[in-house]
Formats: sequence, C-alpha cells, structure tokens
Amino acid sequence: MAKSIKWETDMQTALGRSRKEEKNILLDFFNPG
Amino acid sequence: MDAVTYPDEKVIEFIENNLIPLRVAFNTQPLATQFNLKWTPTLIILDPEGKEHERIVGFLPPDELIPTLFLGIAKVYFDLEKFDDALEVIEKILNQFPASSVVPETIFLKGVCGYKSSHNPKHLKEAYEQLQIKHPQSEWAKKAYPYRLL
Repeated sequence: MAKSIKWETDMQTALGRSRKEEKNILLDFFNPG
Repeated sequence: MDAVTYPDEKVIEFIENNLIPLRVAFNTQPLATQFNLKWTPTLIILDPEGKEHERIVGFLPPDELIPTLFLGIAKVYFDLEKFDDALEVIEKILNQFPASSVVPETIFLKGVCGYKSSHNPKHLKEAYEQLQIKHPQSEWAKKAYPYRLL
C-alpha cells in the first residue's frame, strides 16, 4: 500500500502532539467536495 | 493537493519529519471562523500554542510546497525571536531548493534574521546585494532597496 500523510483531525490532539514532539502544526482547510 | 502534492513521497517524508499534519473541512467550526477561512486549500503553520505564523492559499506542486513549508517554519522561529534557528532553516532552503520561488523572500528573511541576531546592518545590505544580482525583479528586491544605503 502506498504511503500517505497521517492527518490528525482534532486540534487538541494536534496541539498535544505539537508540544510533545516540539513540532509546528500544518493546518490544512480543505473542501471535501 | 490530494491528486498531485500530498501523494508525493518527498512531501510525505517532509511533513512527517517536520510538522504535525492536521486536516479539517473548510466549514469546521470554530476553526474556520477562528482562522478567518475564505478559500481552499488554505494551509496554515501554527506553533505549539496554536498561534498562526504563515498562511498559504491555493495549490502548490510538491517542489514548491516543501520549501514553502520550510520557510513557514523559519518564520515561526523568526516570530519567536529564535534567529539562529531561523537562520539554520534558511540555509537549508537556500541549499536544497535554489530554484524555488520562495528564494527571494528567504534571502530577505536571512538578512533580517542576521541583523536581528547580530545588530550588524551588513546582513541587510548583503541581502539587498544578493537580491539585486539574482532576483532584481522580485518584490523582495524592491523591499530591500533601502538597505543599499547601509
């Protein structure tokens, strides 16, 4: 199976990971069509 | 982005190694209002406190998305006054993506970070000179124009 980006879908989860992993967040607003 | 950019192996690797990817639909509240969402795709770089530091609107191909995100990371460091960290990222951009459209802005930011780190205006003048030689028609060359007098 081809690799893909593992997107978070919840801001609080992303913030928790951001602080723990010391990385910034890439927030993508998209049109699901 | 889904058809071309996000499936790219280098994009996947860059995002996994450098960022926490968070994806929400354009009408997700309160985020859409909080971030004044007007068009898609809109990509925003947030620091670990959830504060915005860079915004990208519209499609980017893989070879432009990576240096653009890299520049966004440099801008987070700049905004947080971590100038040496910003300069480290800036050098990576200039070395790894010399043909990217973000290079003129990156050169400008390099000059500003160098000045703010050292208080030596020579960094601003160097940025002006590099932009004049390599990117004379860019908006960043115009923005650096006053630094010729330093």
